Amino acid sequence: MAKLLEVSNLSKAYKLPGYFFNRKICNALEPLSFNLQAYKTLAVVGEMGSGKSTLAKLLVGAEKPTTGKIKLNGQTLEAGNFGQRCQHIRMIFQDSGTTLNPSLTIKQILDETVKLNTDLDTMERIQLIRATLQKVGLLPDHMNFYPHMLSGGQKQRVSLARAIILEPQVVILDEALAALDPSLRSQMINLLLDLQEQMGLAFVLISHNLGIVRHFSDEMMVLYHGQVIEYGDTQTILKAPKHKYTQKLILSQSFQDKALSN
Amino acid sequence: MNLLDIRNLSIELIGQKHDILAVDRVSLTMKEGEVRGLVGESGSGKSLLAQAIIGVLDESRWRVHADRFHWRGQDLLRLPIEERKAIISKDVAMIFQEPIACLDPTTTIGEQLEEAVPESMLYGFFWQKRQQRKKAVIKLLHRVGIKQHTMCINSYPHQLTEALCQRVMIAIALARRPILLIADEPTAAMESTNQGQIFRLLASLNQLKNMSILLISHDLENVTHWTHTITVMYSGQFVEAGTTKQIFTKPYHPYTQALLDSSPKANMHLPAKARLMTLPGSIPILQHLPIGCRLGPRCPRAQKQCVNAPKVKNYHGHQVSCHFSLKDLY
Repeated sequence: MAKLLEVSNLSKAYKLPGYFFNRKICNALEPLSFNLQAYKTLAVVGEMGSGKSTLAKLLVGAEKPTTGKIKLNGQTLEAGNFGQRCQHIRMIFQDSGTTLNPSLTIKQILDETVKLNTDLDTMERIQLIRATLQKVGLLPDHMNFYPHMLSGGQKQRVSLARAIILEPQVVILDEALAALDPSLRSQMINLLLDLQEQMGLAFVLISHNLGIVRHFSDEMMVLYHGQVIEYGDTQTILKAPKHKYTQKLILSQSFQDKALSN
Repeated sequence: MNLLDIRNLSIELIGQKHDILAVDRVSLTMKEGEVRGLVGESGSGKSLLAQAIIGVLDESRWRVHADRFHWRGQDLLRLPIEERKAIISKDVAMIFQEPIACLDPTTTIGEQLEEAVPESMLYGFFWQKRQQRKKAVIKLLHRVGIKQHTMCINSYPHQLTEALCQRVMIAIALARRPILLIADEPTAAMESTNQGQIFRLLASLNQLKNMSILLISHDLENVTHWTHTITVMYSGQFVEAGTTKQIFTKPYHPYTQALLDSSPKANMHLPAKARLMTLPGSIPILQHLPIGCRLGPRCPRAQKQCVNAPKVKNYHGHQVSCHFSLKDLY
């Protein structure tokens, strides 16, 4: 299968404030490369400060990479060319409630995205919003609601609708499932898996819950202090972790399975 | 004797037109030296229940009543408020989620810990007391596993990591040597390696000091390893209570069953990317609660009878509140 997303040698370094001679550089992300195909999910696992959010920001174009290239369908994505990028790569954040503008209705929130990126007329836009809301399991009536009238799970669905309304190819989930209640989380996982099947989406899942990673992803990447320490098939890594940090991470979560089994 | 014995506790939010029953007849018992998990999704009233136990609910907005509210044999609801506060502040301590937000950002950790050391533990003149206070702080920090006490005492909350801050919070809670520690989601939004640290610390306190812990969590799978017994709540109603093993191997309530089925961690046998079992719909909001069993509209086993709230049934210490419990299936 053709490669959808091709990342080669991507890295990010932040300059820390300092005088001319003792200028320091913080390597948030060491050079890394990976490929992602349609219908597949890449999970990124790591602790705080390991660079997983930096990676998400680089992919979505919120930060300029220091080195490296991101190619989508063989086409290089330029940093700063948002018109090109934001139609294909979209992102969902952890706390969906705060990413929705409280003074706009759901219709206006979704309309903004479509208006800025396509040249559909008003009727077509409303049709598209209606169809997308149905796709994520909301009613067309929800168009006229304000974000505060929706529950946490519904808000997360709205931000998912905002992500898929332009029919992107890659969706980045930055801890998008962590803050949800368990029963809503499993609904959301089912919804995401369905959408992946229907639309051929590729997901980049950033998470620290290994249970979800195991269930959801095909490949996984473990980051530690900005470096990739393991990258490969999820099942193989979880069964036989090579690096010490991965082993520790799996151990810290696997006692729960033991508690369940006895 | 039970440490805490609550029977049919109701908490009402006093509204302008009509009152809302936020917690509906919940029972909770705790024995000495027990770790009990209190599990429920958002809006299940678990934090309200904790606040009712320590008695910080504003009386002009909330109305609390219970058939029985005993703390070591004393009925708290019948005591005058001062006496009740004295008992609770001596014996019960609470820690919260987001420890960095709970600590005062403008003073050092040492000062905040010194403030928590009770006057009754000190003796002598004021300069002697100052020395004792300093020593007590260092001792507290050692007890929660912080070895570099000087570094910790002199730093401000933002200079420490989240797990360290939570340890400091636990140290503050331990200053009065409480019998019961209420931990309200102590590890929410923490990383799994740090979560393990905090849970291990709580477990060791439980074993060494025989301290009872009420561990509140929204996620059933997170607390299983650390609890002896579990109480499950949904939308302000009591669902199920029993030992951890009972809850996990033989859940009697459809809601507990659904919680277990929906967790990808508990279902390792499922192939990757298979659909998870879920309950349809979402958690009802307080303004629009269903009558009877509040799980009714979402429950796979709901029948006509469920519009009446079910009575709590007790099978060998495994309590369940459901008309059509799953007991007969096992």
